[in-house]
Amino acid sequence: MIGQFIDGPLWTFSLAVFLIGVIWRIVAILMAGNRPDLATPKGSAGAGALRALFSRFLPERTVATHGRLQLIAGYLFHLGLLALLFFAQPHIDFIADRITGLSWPAMPHWAFIVAAELAFAGLILLWLYRILNPVTRLLSDLDDHIGTILVFLVMLTGCLALAQAFEPLRLIHLLLAELLLIYFPFSKLMHAFTFIMSRGYTGATMGRKGVNA
Amino acid sequence: MIRSKILQFDSGDGTPAGWLLLLLLLLYSLPLDTIAKEAVSRGLPSAAVLNPAAELWRDVRQRDQPTTGSTQVRGVDSGVLINAYGDRWRKFRMQQLIPIGGYMLMGIVVVLAVFYLVRGKVPIEGGESDRKLPRYSTYERMIHWFIASIFLFLAITGLILLFGRPVLIPMLGKETFSILASACKEGHNLMGPLFLLALILVFIKFVRRNIYQKGDLSWLLRGGGIIGPKHVPSNFFNMGEKTMFWMLVLVGSLIVVSGLVLVFPLFGQGREWMELAHVGHAIGALLMIGVIIGHIYIGTIGMEGAIEGMKTGYCDLNWAKEHHDLWASRAEARGEALSNEAVGQLRDLDPLPSSLGARTQEAGK
Amino acid sequence: MSEQFDQGVQALRQQIDARISAYFSSCVHCGLCAEACLFYTETDNPRYTPIHKLEPMKKLWRREHTFWGKLGAVLGVSEPLTEEDFSEWETLVYDSCTLCGRCSMVCPVGNDITYMIRKQREGFSAAGYAPEGMKEATRRALEIGSPMGVTYATLKAALAHVEKDTGLSVPVDTQGADYMALFSSMEVVNFPEYIAAITRIFHAAGVSWTISSEAFEATNSGIQIGNKDAAAEIVNRVAIAADKLGVKSVISPECGHAYMAIRWEGPNLIGRAYPFEVVHILELLDQLKAEGRLRLESKESTPMTLHDPCQIVRRGGVIRQPRDLLNSVAEHFVEMKDHGVMNWCCGGGGGVSANERAEPLRLQAFNRKKKQLDESGVNTMVTACANCRIILEEGIEHNEMDTAVISLTELIADHLIEGRNEN
Repeated sequence: MIGQFIDGPLWTFSLAVFLIGVIWRIVAILMAGNRPDLATPKGSAGAGALRALFSRFLPERTVATHGRLQLIAGYLFHLGLLALLFFAQPHIDFIADRITGLSWPAMPHWAFIVAAELAFAGLILLWLYRILNPVTRLLSDLDDHIGTILVFLVMLTGCLALAQAFEPLRLIHLLLAELLLIYFPFSKLMHAFTFIMSRGYTGATMGRKGVNA
Repeated sequence: MIRSKILQFDSGDGTPAGWLLLLLLLLYSLPLDTIAKEAVSRGLPSAAVLNPAAELWRDVRQRDQPTTGSTQVRGVDSGVLINAYGDRWRKFRMQQLIPIGGYMLMGIVVVLAVFYLVRGKVPIEGGESDRKLPRYSTYERMIHWFIASIFLFLAITGLILLFGRPVLIPMLGKETFSILASACKEGHNLMGPLFLLALILVFIKFVRRNIYQKGDLSWLLRGGGIIGPKHVPSNFFNMGEKTMFWMLVLVGSLIVVSGLVLVFPLFGQGREWMELAHVGHAIGALLMIGVIIGHIYIGTIGMEGAIEGMKTGYCDLNWAKEHHDLWASRAEARGEALSNEAVGQLRDLDPLPSSLGARTQEAGK
Repeated sequence: MSEQFDQGVQALRQQIDARISAYFSSCVHCGLCAEACLFYTETDNPRYTPIHKLEPMKKLWRREHTFWGKLGAVLGVSEPLTEEDFSEWETLVYDSCTLCGRCSMVCPVGNDITYMIRKQREGFSAAGYAPEGMKEATRRALEIGSPMGVTYATLKAALAHVEKDTGLSVPVDTQGADYMALFSSMEVVNFPEYIAAITRIFHAAGVSWTISSEAFEATNSGIQIGNKDAAAEIVNRVAIAADKLGVKSVISPECGHAYMAIRWEGPNLIGRAYPFEVVHILELLDQLKAEGRLRLESKESTPMTLHDPCQIVRRGGVIRQPRDLLNSVAEHFVEMKDHGVMNWCCGGGGGVSANERAEPLRLQAFNRKKKQLDESGVNTMVTACANCRIILEEGIEHNEMDTAVISLTELIADHLIEGRNEN
């Protein structure tokens, strides 16, 4: 009963909330508008935006030294999660089945295990840093903690269901993933999309000034 | 006095548990079937109660020929039809490990409860001071809580797997427990390697302060302060904490290695190795769980001010002097002590840096 | 709730554009910007984390632009922006930010935090929560024409000295000149040597230039305090004067914030593109040198290092020119560890130097520059901003250091091959 609900209508609903919510958020940001820059540019805004979009994947040197803990944990978590999300066999099957009908090669089981270990280590360390470091502790709000805990629970239940032998375990994982999808557009998790806009805007402004940012 | 007893307890709580577990290990190495045979020879009507399974096992064990046959199937132990030691391992797990381990853990909890009822929370004798000493950096606290969270997760899932049959099946039923057990097994296996990572990080960061020093010897000779004069000085870590650290490192390594042997059957380890690994894993883990229960007791309800350092990074100066005087007086002499107000600023407990706030007021806002 | 407070909230509300919405949406509270801020690194006080200084604006954005904020507002559970927020954050917004832009360079999601603080100041100044020193400077800039109260009469006196010292005449209000030079009040009052330097250089290079008696002030207090109307008024004076004299280009003086104001913010403040070009004096010198019109002789043998003024280099894009120019007159040019677009601020930009109550904090923040200098092992620091110079000299004096601060333009003038260039 409840399983059918989680597997059927709730899935459709959460996917819809996610897609519509994300698009709505992005459109809302764009609608706020920016005034055109009237100063004569020294360099190209487009090239600057593109540069910043990629250059910010690498940390600036001073920050890389002082914030190395966060950077390492951040890379581990994000890369691990990306691998799990898109290259785990059950996810590929699910995406092929339920969403796109497309499938691609999955990573081998050992790679899955490694990715999961790294993602967990990264996420736990990042969250511990958040609550233990005075700066992040001061900045953090409820949203940061909810987002972290939801992602953690989705990852954890996914791994608990690894035996792929018990339907209830799969359903718990799916339910939490659905809650995450529903929460996503209303939260800081949106940074997964808006970072492109932020980097783009800043990169464009700096590009016009002839500064590589 | 009270403090010293606590510390003694901290260092020593592994000892009774350790003996128990050593006993368990001895039990495992004893030929249990001899005991069974003795029972049989004690004039019981053997023929009447002869159980076909027992006969089979005896036959398997008493064969003169090697137990390994030949087969086309390539794989570890694939030539062994019946593992002669499997039953002994099963009996050990069911009849010794689970009951004795369970009673030991319960015993530790009961002893701590009684101790708490008698002693209560150990206060800071001089009361909280107005100054604090920086004790742990953010990174140190991070890796402590990292290993702590991984340890707790592994302990809970591990205990569920070990004690599930006698404790949880009666409560949840087999159906539900099978799901829980599968989840715990997957989770335990997946998180396990992270314990190795955490252990390495903790080892590298804390090993220097945990090397036994001269002060520790006098701490030990004076019985942790129980028999000697009231004040027993200790270093950054006291004898009890150092012992716990080395147990974590050594027993923890045993747990990690045996765990890896169990979870990655890639190195040609056969069933006998796996049985041995399991026994070591379980006994080591039970021992460490017992020690950590004591550790958690002191950190939470056992002693005032003990958890502050790990929580905030700073500890009360009076607490430090009472418990880690050798370190505290040196740190104070180096001028490391900060006023509570300064610590509040560094941790952002004040609404505004006081000097800045005062200036705002001066500016007539 | 006062009317002025409402105006402040309204002003703040108007600042929230797509960029700021994207920035707040992206910030994951990682706190890495703290490591880029000299006020944090020198105090270890988490309050000085750059993004934390934006808490009031974030509060408004959250309430009016996010689902939870709007929901909370409807249900009456989310707290609106209060007067206390302004008063509590005033020192964070004005005293502990020089708009240096370092945080904007390190943010992993690419947020331009400096841009947001600049915008947030609009709300603070409209609500009346700005430091007295900056309010006064802005008032003087609007009424007298200069934040330091320098009038044309003062400039005229300074020009007379320059003419006497150089033996050259300084062109004022010359119609149809190619270039119109601007100054910062600090140059007129504290460093008239700069005026002498460009007079000599322009004479030698044969540059057709002039000074306008109506608009010679390049700095813009309106930008620093965050008052776009005042800022526009100040820029407009320059634009009108340049128009009137029919010049092709306006020369921004060394002063960093002046360059930011006149070059990058100016057209956006007055809402129209300039009919003339704006060049920084270093850009012009570099160009003259490339054209062979600026000829230099001999080199300094003392080791020299360069302090990059934030607004010229990191926020302005004049990065290569100061290095090329310094290399052409110094044998041993030693870069500091963090240089160019990642240089550390002197601590006095963004109006902090005009804010008396910020002085103790500013001197504490100067420790960052001191460490940088100590690391480089060089005792001569060349820079190209009058405000940086004053602040650096104060810090050097306060710390009893043995470091000389010199202007790059003046250094170039010292090595000038005099005599009119045939061109």
